[in-house]
Amino acid sequence: MKSYHDIASDGGSNVLEQVSVQRKHLEERLADVRHIVAVASGKGGVGKSTVTACLASALNRKGYAAGVLDADLNGPSMAHMMGVQDHIPYSRDDAMTPALSHGRIPIMSMDLFLPPGSTPVIWQAPTQRGAYTWRSMVEMSALRELLADTHWGTLDIMLVDLAPGADKLQNLADLLPNISGTLIVTTPTAVAQMVVGRSITMASDVAQVPVIGLVENMSGNTCRRCGHEEALFTGNPAAHKLAQRHDIAYLGRIPFDARLAYCLDEGISFLKDYPESTAGKAILSIADALHAWLDL
Amino acid sequence: MALHEWHGPSDGTMSIVYSCPNCGRQIAMLTNQAETQIVRSLGVKIGGRSDVAAPMESLRSNLAMQREGVETTRPSTSQTKCPFTGMVNEAFARDALTWSDPALARLESIPAFVRPMVRTNVEDYAREQGYVEITELVMDEVKAHLEM
Repeated sequence: MKSYHDIASDGGSNVLEQVSVQRKHLEERLADVRHIVAVASGKGGVGKSTVTACLASALNRKGYAAGVLDADLNGPSMAHMMGVQDHIPYSRDDAMTPALSHGRIPIMSMDLFLPPGSTPVIWQAPTQRGAYTWRSMVEMSALRELLADTHWGTLDIMLVDLAPGADKLQNLADLLPNISGTLIVTTPTAVAQMVVGRSITMASDVAQVPVIGLVENMSGNTCRRCGHEEALFTGNPAAHKLAQRHDIAYLGRIPFDARLAYCLDEGISFLKDYPESTAGKAILSIADALHAWLDL
Repeated sequence: MALHEWHGPSDGTMSIVYSCPNCGRQIAMLTNQAETQIVRSLGVKIGGRSDVAAPMESLRSNLAMQREGVETTRPSTSQTKCPFTGMVNEAFARDALTWSDPALARLESIPAFVRPMVRTNVEDYAREQGYVEITELVMDEVKAHLEM
């Protein structure tokens, strides 16, 4: 009896060859990207997109060529946060043009393909019933295309803003075996850190992606008038202890700043206007730690 | 085995009949919605691919609703959204859609000055959906689609 691997042909479709061509195309497209860093967290709402947008701006200010891929296909926000939501991608040669944000940071996001407003991502199918059987495959295919079919140009670093979920990093690592590392984002709450702890284990033990370090977001609130700092969350478990438990670097804490939220809502650069704020200094410091780790 | 005939696609499924040119023995391949969708999800072309994929071809052709102004990837007759229909169309060198008699009669009942536009809209929709025959059901679908 023949096994699957003994079958000489799949009837002429050459599906394996087509998949191999897709992978080769992806490799070729990213050949001029020195580092790919995933911004991840098992927990939603901790500020992965905020950290991604701010780090891209910080690295850009430091003179590095940074790009951003919004890999949160069902909840894309990067285009809005970076003020390029009106960009309509168009094809040029063999790829599509990314949006260019502050300092000409290339950004690609599912958001750029969706109608403005509240239209969700709906994939065409004879029926939406049973979509759970194929939706994740379509999403991986879309993610591959967003990476492989965008004119990224030459980049020092591409930041990939992942959707929440410990599995998302592993999916990306399957697609991109050469990810340089991942930044894990948490908030100072026990629930977030419980979930994020699982993500750190998943990243290092299963996906085998180097963990660059932990970023603590929304860590306290500083009074803009007197500088008094107080915790935003009761209990306020220290994130650096989470980093210690997992033997990873604690890269720093970004305090809550209403001006940062405003800037991201309006799609303007926080670092351009507030580089000397506590949050601004924290972001720039984390960017320093990141480029030191990457040896840019 | 040689391609002999096909039925559908109808309601997301189709049947393709192969026949032995020597003895006439026939076998049929039946597709189902889930399997077809899974193949489509890979972004590959059943029957093999000789052309180069357009940028973000799969994403743009599979998104049900997309932003106005984004270039669409209009599938050719052999590149329908249903991968199996595309293969069959190519194998049978089909480049025209057929109209069922009732559908044709319904088209003829439309005022002449809008008939070409309706025909184009219906055929474009049918190609996008991977249909090879336009029936009254397809026309109803187009009507519902345009009223969305």
